[in-house]
Amino acid sequence: LLGGLLPLALLLLWQVAVQRAWLPEQILPPPSLVWQSLRELAESGELWGHLAVSLQRVGWSVLIGGSTGLLLGFAIGLSRQARAYLLPTFEVVSQFPVVGWVPLLIIFVGIDEALKIAAISIAVVVPVTVNTHKGIANIPQRLIEVARVYRFSALQVIRRVVLPAAAPSLFNGLRQGVMQAWLSLVFVELLASSEGIGYLMVWGRQLMQLDLVLVGVIVVGTVGVLLDLGLRGLERRFQRGALNAF
Amino acid sequence: MNRRLFSLLAAIGLAAAALPAAAQNKPTEIRIGVPSAGTGGRPLSGGSIYSTAHLIGTLEDEFKADGIKIKWIFFPGAGPALNEAFANNGVDFGGHGDLPLIVGGSTGLKRKIVLASSRFDDAYLVVPADSQARSLADLKGKRIATFKGTSGQLVLNRVLEKNGFTEKDFKVINLDTETQRAALATKDIDGAIVAPFDLEARGVAKVLLAIKDDRKIVGPGSFWVSEEFEKKYPQITQRVITGLVKAARWGSDEKNREKEFQLWGQAGTVPYIDYVKRWNGWALKDRLSPLLDENYVAAIKRSAEEAKRYKLIRREADVQSWIEPKYLNQALKDLQLEGFWTEFDADGKPKANRVAAGS
Repeated sequence: LLGGLLPLALLLLWQVAVQRAWLPEQILPPPSLVWQSLRELAESGELWGHLAVSLQRVGWSVLIGGSTGLLLGFAIGLSRQARAYLLPTFEVVSQFPVVGWVPLLIIFVGIDEALKIAAISIAVVVPVTVNTHKGIANIPQRLIEVARVYRFSALQVIRRVVLPAAAPSLFNGLRQGVMQAWLSLVFVELLASSEGIGYLMVWGRQLMQLDLVLVGVIVVGTVGVLLDLGLRGLERRFQRGALNAF
Repeated sequence: MNRRLFSLLAAIGLAAAALPAAAQNKPTEIRIGVPSAGTGGRPLSGGSIYSTAHLIGTLEDEFKADGIKIKWIFFPGAGPALNEAFANNGVDFGGHGDLPLIVGGSTGLKRKIVLASSRFDDAYLVVPADSQARSLADLKGKRIATFKGTSGQLVLNRVLEKNGFTEKDFKVINLDTETQRAALATKDIDGAIVAPFDLEARGVAKVLLAIKDDRKIVGPGSFWVSEEFEKKYPQITQRVITGLVKAARWGSDEKNREKEFQLWGQAGTVPYIDYVKRWNGWALKDRLSPLLDENYVAAIKRSAEEAKRYKLIRREADVQSWIEPKYLNQALKDLQLEGFWTEFDADGKPKANRVAAGS
């Protein structure tokens, strides 16, 4: 409840700023206009079309980036050799922000859909890999020892020990990955798009319809919160499942 | 004798009293927004009356004695960026293509159109040199770039409509003019409406569709003053417009053709050769006419209707009420240029020359 105070205060400030004309109305449209535009876009279906395109991009990127991240994370976590070869490079590469990859990616994959998916995937790989690797590295040594006493095969170790013990961290990584994807999406869609939420925002700015930009901000924020809440819910359920495995 | 001396003294006194008032009534600088920039953001532009005025320094000469600085501000973000700057009170005068002029006006930006800055251009849909497309229909579903929110987007929409298409038949992406040219060379886009001849000469692109005979395909350029500035400094406003008309006169003179194209070509976004070829067969003074004639008014109204039809503006734009011809008329009178430029009708045909007799 208290968390709602700040947004309410901001809304109030926004309304006051508009009424007192602190900023020209072309730059800061009134909340009522933004609300109206939001409803118009939702009713015409345009908003859902853009949102579907954006979510699809995030979906593919999470699939590609997430599986790459899981593979990398497991390899680095489980194999000492892989760790020796891959970890230092990965640590350096993971420092680049997504924005920094874009010029290079444009040269390799052009400015089409591939650019968006590739850039967002990179944003997903890093948190997923790091968390997977950490999850595995932090498995208590005694669990492994117990498994050894029971003479588990490698596969059994992974299934019965590693996966359940690393699950919280794995999910944390995936959740961070999805959030990273969602955040990078908007930036990537600013470039050379013809659809998507980020595109809607650029479009609004080019035609001086700043209400569209603010609609975009609201949608990005809302979807982000919903995604996060949904993933947290899933995480909790899976964790309970993971505990039952012991 | 006494009376004469008295009146002389009185005149001096009055003049002295008027001086500080006059000093207050002039700005320290005049900020002029140009809705483009040269390659790499260089402060250069071409193809319009204000470009010529900037390049030959007409306004700088006009205001040197007053110590008023002319500050030219170039916007790589083109017309939309200039609208934002204007909304934030960052410019006093500005040039605009038809769409951003209408978009800005429709959101309630307060300014007056004081002269036409360019008109009658051709449009070329350009594709990469090895494109297999033979007609616009072959580009269906492919990537066409336009600088959204600029007059170029209206040109694209007109070209598409002329051929029975809309933006929805293609993937229309937003790139600035400079990037469009580069993206054609790297084949990252399948088409764009840009200046073709330099790209063609370099072998990186070719013309798919040329529209040369249509005086309605490219909207007119406009030059405006902010209402606030106009009210505060009417004399200065008049002098700026008179200065621009002088530049238009210079630019309309056929003996300056070569020189003018070279100056314009420096910007790079439309290279020299494109000016030479695209103005071939045109009298300079027909395309650089500052007149707010029947042709201008009809064209800008048409653009407003199109912007509404293509859903680029959401509010009505009462274009007629933005036009203020009195400064232009005064300048034409002062410079004895009435009748120098030919008036055109709504279809772009020269009107019978009855300027002196008429209004």
